[in-house]
Amino acid sequence: MTAVERDEVRARVDKYVGRPMGPPSVAPDPVNVPMIRHWVVALDDRNPIYLDEQAAAATRHGGLVAPPAMLQTWGMPSPKIEGIAERGGSPVDITNDNVVRALDKEGFTGTLATNSELEFVRYLRPGDQLRISNELESISNRKTTGLGQGYFVTWITTYRDQDGELVGRQLFRIFKFDPSTIDLSKLKGAS
Amino acid sequence: MSTSASPKSCDVKVGDELPPFELGLTSTMIVAGAIASRDFMPAHHDPDFAKGQGAPDIFMNILTTNGYVARFVTDWAGPEAMLKNIKIRLGAPAVPGKPLRFTGQVASKEDDGKECVLELTVRAANDLGDHATGTVTLTLPRS
Repeated sequence: MTAVERDEVRARVDKYVGRPMGPPSVAPDPVNVPMIRHWVVALDDRNPIYLDEQAAAATRHGGLVAPPAMLQTWGMPSPKIEGIAERGGSPVDITNDNVVRALDKEGFTGTLATNSELEFVRYLRPGDQLRISNELESISNRKTTGLGQGYFVTWITTYRDQDGELVGRQLFRIFKFDPSTIDLSKLKGAS
Repeated sequence: MSTSASPKSCDVKVGDELPPFELGLTSTMIVAGAIASRDFMPAHHDPDFAKGQGAPDIFMNILTTNGYVARFVTDWAGPEAMLKNIKIRLGAPAVPGKPLRFTGQVASKEDDGKECVLELTVRAANDLGDHATGTVTLTLPRS
């Protein structure tokens, strides 16, 4: 593709930029100790501020807090397990019109996560009930990488608490690529 | 594993290195992290599904990667640390049987008299390459 050639695919997905990626959601559960314990055990994280009330109270946190990196976990939808592989791993049926589905239909079916930027405005505490919204920040021009041709798609997830106060954000970037354009001579085994 | 004494409040210098941490990554750790983070994507627990997608095996999900990066940092910085952000670029997959080595360094330090703000560079790598590279910003109380 030359520089002056118009990228019809990019033009067709431009309408998604700056728009919500679906309706806002409410976290399935409030921030809670059982899920924190599950995480702490799974990752063997010994920081006492997550489960030891006395130790946590003696720090400037002033009491139990959730591991900050769990921010994204609180917003994960309750999955429909049956058929998850057939849906390509999507936890729920995706019915709304969004850029990922649009690029799938254009043949850019491959997905590779490239960047995550978590920002913590405050630490969460048991009882916090999060509201989550996603907005599409940008779609790059068509790029050629070791995985072939595709587009970098970036969205921002915003987390607010029960009072509507901002508690955190996540920038997430994926590369949506056309697997048929992979240059196999450049692949080195890592996905 | 390899945690050493926490920094005494702001008692750190630019260039200080965090104690390296090697995670002997197993399938169980990957699955435990995926489910604890409510990520049921089959690539993180079903080897046949993962291989069908071109991966060598099941691989760690991003939520778990962020969790281990946070743990690596607070194992060093201690319970008074307050993380402000974790910004990572993702690369080689973290797969069972390939130890994941975490390294980090203090890149900058600002002191406003009440607390100090540290930016750390962090890297988690295995023998496939860099799994995650980036920065973590945190604050520590001054006294």
